Amino acid sequence: MLWGIKNMFDLQFLYLVGCLTLTVGLALDMGPNQNMEFTFMLPTGGTECFYQTTTTGDSMEIEYQVIAGSGLDVGFALISPSGHRVVSEFRTSDGIHMLDYTEFGDYRLCFDNSFSKMSEKMVFFKVIINSEGNTSGGQEEWMDFTVTESMEDYRIEEIRRTMDSVYRHLEKTRQVQTVLRAFEARDRYLLEDNLWRVSFWSCLNLLVMLGVAVTQTYTLRRLFDNTKRVCT
Amino acid sequence: MMRSVPAAAVTILLAWIYPSCGLYFHIGETEKKCFIEEIPDETMVIGKYRTQLWDKQAGSFLPSTPGLGMHVEIKDPDTKIILSRQYGSEGRFTFTSHTPGEHQICLHSNSTKMALFAGGKLRVHLEIQVGEHTNNYPEIAAKDKLTELQLRVRQLLDQVEQIQKEQSYQRYREERFRMTSESTNQRVLWWSIAQTFILIVTGIWQMRHLKSFFEAKKLV
Repeated sequence: MLWGIKNMFDLQFLYLVGCLTLTVGLALDMGPNQNMEFTFMLPTGGTECFYQTTTTGDSMEIEYQVIAGSGLDVGFALISPSGHRVVSEFRTSDGIHMLDYTEFGDYRLCFDNSFSKMSEKMVFFKVIINSEGNTSGGQEEWMDFTVTESMEDYRIEEIRRTMDSVYRHLEKTRQVQTVLRAFEARDRYLLEDNLWRVSFWSCLNLLVMLGVAVTQTYTLRRLFDNTKRVCT
Repeated sequence: MMRSVPAAAVTILLAWIYPSCGLYFHIGETEKKCFIEEIPDETMVIGKYRTQLWDKQAGSFLPSTPGLGMHVEIKDPDTKIILSRQYGSEGRFTFTSHTPGEHQICLHSNSTKMALFAGGKLRVHLEIQVGEHTNNYPEIAAKDKLTELQLRVRQLLDQVEQIQKEQSYQRYREERFRMTSESTNQRVLWWSIAQTFILIVTGIWQMRHLKSFFEAKKLV
């Protein structure tokens, strides 16, 4: 019976520690790969900055693309927590940057549209953080919540590894899909703009043509009317 | 079983409100920040945010300010408002899309007192999860009593389902794209023909009109 109680206390202690680690992990953003993507409107002449918290030794991948807005370009700057400008791009339409070793602190991503006086831009960007040493899908914690396996075998370990690999590949597929979607959105906006422009300028062209024809004719007539009057 | 329930409860509680990703931005008093999510239909989206206010005395951001809420407004692709609600300084909003397309998620603070923003900055931590990332796997495991491998397979199945949905949506968008493209081509063609025709007709009309005018005036 003594052994039973001791076992129970061990279990309680274990999951208390597990909970605490989980809490701390969530608070400090330690964890599996994080993937954040946002699409937002950058107002005319404005600048928008986003901040990303990282721990030392992570790797960070930033990809951005301008989806809509005349010129399809935006200025981009990435500033490290120590104030050092890691990336500085002026008027580019898309970019992808990889940081192999991040410092501890908040990285600043700034999108700059101050050079444009007339149009606002729609910008899509995504930030992928790969925590060092923790690249599975955050699935280690699941052992606390799931029913235990009836058969602990080395084969299960292999299956687990295969599934990890499949998970990672599928995540990559999702990310590629997201990028393709952003490209397609950009092309679609461009095309819809073109359609509107074709209609508008054709109409205008027609009106101008008719206007010029009528003006020419009546100017000529008036010319001869005046002459006639002068003659008589 | 004994250790699963409290641990699951704690994690569910934390994961429920606490955005675990570190992306944040600053928002002004009357500023409205909008994010666009292009999603296929029947997709669940969960957004979590947490606000912090700049404290001049402490010289840093306070953990949270009760009483300072955020107003969340979500519009569907037809610009119809599907969610318009006030939340506290920490909140979680969720919606499911019924039409595929661009949904707009707008946030602005509901503060009316200028004093609160004396420092001028409100920090908002935001996390938006789409599709199978909204699933809470520990909860699913606890509910369906799954083993770890079963749970992983379930996760992989959800991922593949979401990829399939995105691909169908991609096909629908490509069809729209093609229709717009063909419409543009047609318009270019017809407008060009119409303009050429009108130009010729106008030319002929001009010549005839002037000829009859000059003949009437006995100049020709």
